[in-house]
Amino acid sequence: MNPEPTPDAPGPLPGDHAPPLWPHTLLAPGLAGAAVLSALAAPPLVGVGLALFAGAICIGSALTLARRVRRGERELHELDVRLLHSQKLAAIGELSSGIAHEINNPLAIITQEIDLARELFGQDACPAPEDLADIKDCLDQVGKQVARCCQITHKLLNFARKMEPVLQEEALEQVIEDMAVLVEREAAGRGVAIRRDYDQSLPPVRTDVPLLRQVILNLLTNAMHATPEGGTITLATCRQNGRAVIEVRDTGCGIPPENLPKVFDPFFTTKEPGKGTGLGLSLSHGIVARLGGNLTAQSAVGKGSVFTVSLPL
Amino acid sequence: MGLRVLAVDDEADFIETLVKRFTYRQIPVTAAGNGPDALALLERESFDVVILDMRMPGMDGLAVLQEIKKRHPLVEVIILTGHASVESGMQGMSLGAYDYVLKPVDFGELLEKAKKAYERKKLNESRADA
Amino acid sequence: MADPIRVLIVDDEERFRETLAKLLGRHGFVVREAGSGPAALELLGQAPCDVIVLDVKMPGMTGADALPLLRAACPEAEVLVLTGHASVDIASTMIAGGAADYLLKPCPTEELEGAIRAVYDRRQATRPR
Repeated sequence: MNPEPTPDAPGPLPGDHAPPLWPHTLLAPGLAGAAVLSALAAPPLVGVGLALFAGAICIGSALTLARRVRRGERELHELDVRLLHSQKLAAIGELSSGIAHEINNPLAIITQEIDLARELFGQDACPAPEDLADIKDCLDQVGKQVARCCQITHKLLNFARKMEPVLQEEALEQVIEDMAVLVEREAAGRGVAIRRDYDQSLPPVRTDVPLLRQVILNLLTNAMHATPEGGTITLATCRQNGRAVIEVRDTGCGIPPENLPKVFDPFFTTKEPGKGTGLGLSLSHGIVARLGGNLTAQSAVGKGSVFTVSLPL
Repeated sequence: MGLRVLAVDDEADFIETLVKRFTYRQIPVTAAGNGPDALALLERESFDVVILDMRMPGMDGLAVLQEIKKRHPLVEVIILTGHASVESGMQGMSLGAYDYVLKPVDFGELLEKAKKAYERKKLNESRADA
Repeated sequence: MADPIRVLIVDDEERFRETLAKLLGRHGFVVREAGSGPAALELLGQAPCDVIVLDVKMPGMTGADALPLLRAACPEAEVLVLTGHASVDIASTMIAGGAADYLLKPCPTEELEGAIRAVYDRRQATRPR
């Protein structure tokens, strides 16, 4: 099940086995130069011959070099493809071990609940009346765990779904506000305030609006869960280097430095089992990349985190 | 041909007002009182945008959304909800809803969203044809 | 009849722990449960046990981190690694670190019970009283 660390070891680098360069850098120019010099001193007919010889050397050398450059480029490209492929394999390996773990845990619970229910049913398939409630509880739990598995597989299908973005013009503020009002009531219930700091001069963006809403809702929800009572979530927009930038800042617990590089990895979660699939941020990251932007995270433990979406204008 | 709306809500009063207001703007609108009726209507007629209530007895909005997206992926769905639930909002958006809007909703705003959703459907269709 | 086998289940998955405890309890084991490595260490401080059933992937202290501490806290206990993570190298590292055996989740209760008894019997055989 475990992927090889380098599933597709790249072959030797181009250049390792390449023929020497000195015939082109020393021999050919030297010969050509000598031919031209002797052509100056020689009688005209011999001179023409020598000049032709010099030209032939130069052309031959240039052709050989051109061929080598082209072969080098092709090898480099193949290497790129192979590297990409091996990265993909590594990513698939990581993903499948993540899926295995996420699905195996609910399966383990289901297995046990079935074992217990069977046992409670007894030899003659006639459970004692006082055990009936326990059996029902087992069945309920099986249902719950199946739902948990479904949630994981559905989210994975979202990954697989090849959603080509549909670009529409929309005011960024509107897209954010739609999702903010949705979260606001629950946030207020947790004693978390949502503050706005929108750049009013920002022109509308051309983007896939529902996809962007999904990202914003996800970032907002994460921020709300990370922020303790009395904290604040700030939604800000601004223009930076010709791009539209959205920031979701929270005054929450922050992300420890060792976890920060992992937050966009599929299945990475610090929530209790069954509480989060660990797919939200990696899905969001994928969506933003598809929209031609990027999603980054900064955080300080105890102070809070900032998630930044930057989109082309 | 312009925007055709299907409005799905079990609250008769609410849907009546909605139908009136769309009709007043000369936008063809059909009402359905529950999920199964809405799905049956979608099989028979074509619609561009479905305005869908989240909480309905029997088949809830998320289940209806899922069915619509399965059978008519190009139809855009705007979810209306009286009850802000972040969890169902996340589910709705990831199931492919165009937007998730809290009730009470300003009609002008809803109309604007419906138009945007329609524009999106047209963009999607023109790409499917190409 | 021999003394009952004292088992400590360390797993962050609450329902898994509870039902396993219930099942093992019905089958004559004396069971305690902990939701994390630190909680397990605390329980071991109160009373020793014979077999520790240890999950690998837990938030905070992982099973691999907890293993040496648990073994130090209760040297007479055998550790049975139970993981949903299909990663053989983590499991084999843990075996090298002193775990007695490992099983992959999901596994039938019967198999798990058999494994608990097997590591317990092995300990009884190798360590005369």
